Amino acid sequence: MEETLFLKKDMKKELSNYEFSNLKKALKLGREKVIDIIKQSGLKGRGGAGFPTGLKWELAYQEEADKKYIICNGDEGEPGTFKDRYLLENNPVKVLEGILIVAYAIGADEGYCYIRGEYLGPINIFEKVINEAEATGILGENILDSGFNFNLYLVKGAGAYVCGDETSLINSIEGKRGRSRIKPPYPIAKGLFDKPTVVNNVETLVSAVEIINQGLDKYLELGTENSRGTKLVCLSGDVNQPGVYEVEFGQVTLGEIIEQFGKGIRNYVPLKFLVPGGISTQVLTPAELNVPYTYEGIASAGSALGSGAVIVVDEGHDLVDLMLNVSRFFMDETCGTCFPCREGNRQVYHMLKEGKEGFTEKDVELIKNVGTTIHLAARCGLGQTSLNFIGSVFDKFGDELKLKGGEHYVTSKY
Amino acid sequence: MNYGCFLERMHNVQDTYGYIPETEIDKIARDFNIPRAKVYGTIKFYSMFHTEPTGKYIIRICDSLSCHINSSHQLLETIKTYLGLEDGQTTKDKLFTLEVVECLGYCGEGPVMMVNEHVYIHVNESMALEILKKCV
Repeated sequence: MEETLFLKKDMKKELSNYEFSNLKKALKLGREKVIDIIKQSGLKGRGGAGFPTGLKWELAYQEEADKKYIICNGDEGEPGTFKDRYLLENNPVKVLEGILIVAYAIGADEGYCYIRGEYLGPINIFEKVINEAEATGILGENILDSGFNFNLYLVKGAGAYVCGDETSLINSIEGKRGRSRIKPPYPIAKGLFDKPTVVNNVETLVSAVEIINQGLDKYLELGTENSRGTKLVCLSGDVNQPGVYEVEFGQVTLGEIIEQFGKGIRNYVPLKFLVPGGISTQVLTPAELNVPYTYEGIASAGSALGSGAVIVVDEGHDLVDLMLNVSRFFMDETCGTCFPCREGNRQVYHMLKEGKEGFTEKDVELIKNVGTTIHLAARCGLGQTSLNFIGSVFDKFGDELKLKGGEHYVTSKY
Repeated sequence: MNYGCFLERMHNVQDTYGYIPETEIDKIARDFNIPRAKVYGTIKFYSMFHTEPTGKYIIRICDSLSCHINSSHQLLETIKTYLGLEDGQTTKDKLFTLEVVECLGYCGEGPVMMVNEHVYIHVNESMALEILKKCV
């Protein structure tokens, strides 16, 4: 029986051995230079939306306010994604350094690290890191004798996928229901407690630390023009060796990720499809395995890189069963604020359930129409992307799902 | 009082009682100076908070796509039959509460089962029953 044990790391030792050299470098460079480096690096947010990180920092820096906040987004709820847990468990001090660097760059003196409630291990570890950092003076007044003050608080989520959206997350920290806010105003202008706020994903923060560490020139050698650097890929599903792997953008294709890192598909069953960026992205078929793993490569195949969750599905599964699973997820996790998302996802779930034995052209059209409505009307990413998976399965495997003369059509070949 | 520590307060109450009782909701509403309905609404929004007493052991089974592909639904059926529970129910002896949850973040190691604070990975049906028997 395998039981994962929370890492009982000695945080005191870990912190005393860590020199915070990148933070020191950042403090020496000055705010504008740090922001400039991140801007030039072309780093995009690794949480899923892919917003340019440097631009986010710059806009927050330019805001004039008596108080600014930084939030580390560790509310990782996208099925298939587990890279932030990996980083928080194995590299918590680097996450802390990343938070300190952004805080310094934008001029924030208070920050929150929001970790999802189910991640008891990472919560435990990060709590220790904060306590030790406070004791050793890495958090608090006059950090590293630079005149920079910063306090960090840990917030434990309570089981809501939608809180991964930055505005929902802000509401959640404020003690409200985690429902998304209408944008604009964007959090960089009016975020937590109505002050300018930068919300960065855990992996984004660690990537920023690495950019400072490696230096801009070295970092710019990695990846392609529109996808700089490296990305953590969370590989799961029907592969022999699932796990978190770091890949350089543009150096591997989706097929190579499955073959080289995942050691191929289990039991030699052929691939049915894969999800390149979590269940809120469109599925890709075996014909699209040769697309390079970059933001633009996957976009050209009609999907999105998302949070980097590659879920591999072989031909041994029932397509409707998988669609129902994804649909139930969005039906359960919608926050309910936008009517089309709340009701639309519920109706799609029932339509899928009723059509379990095959779908007519009309059914498919109706489901797709609901999808378009939700996409246009929803306020946040959850709603906008909620029908991507189901819509793309209908697009690509429509023939298999059709109702044929009223007879049940078997979707699985195995 | 800073409304920002609301979630922490909820977690603390739940850690103490195992759920958030009516009397505590009254206290919280008074302390934060907000209507009871708002406190209740916020609690209900988050799936980890309970307003009814739960069992000594909360069994969380992930049935999201990655785990589902790895047959988590079969595991779930086994546990449901063994405990005689449906999603969200508690056994009469107040020992087990069963919850089907969305993603526990162990997608590469599914199926996953969480019993209180312990996470079990690569769980098959016989392992699950063994874990449950150990709890008794």
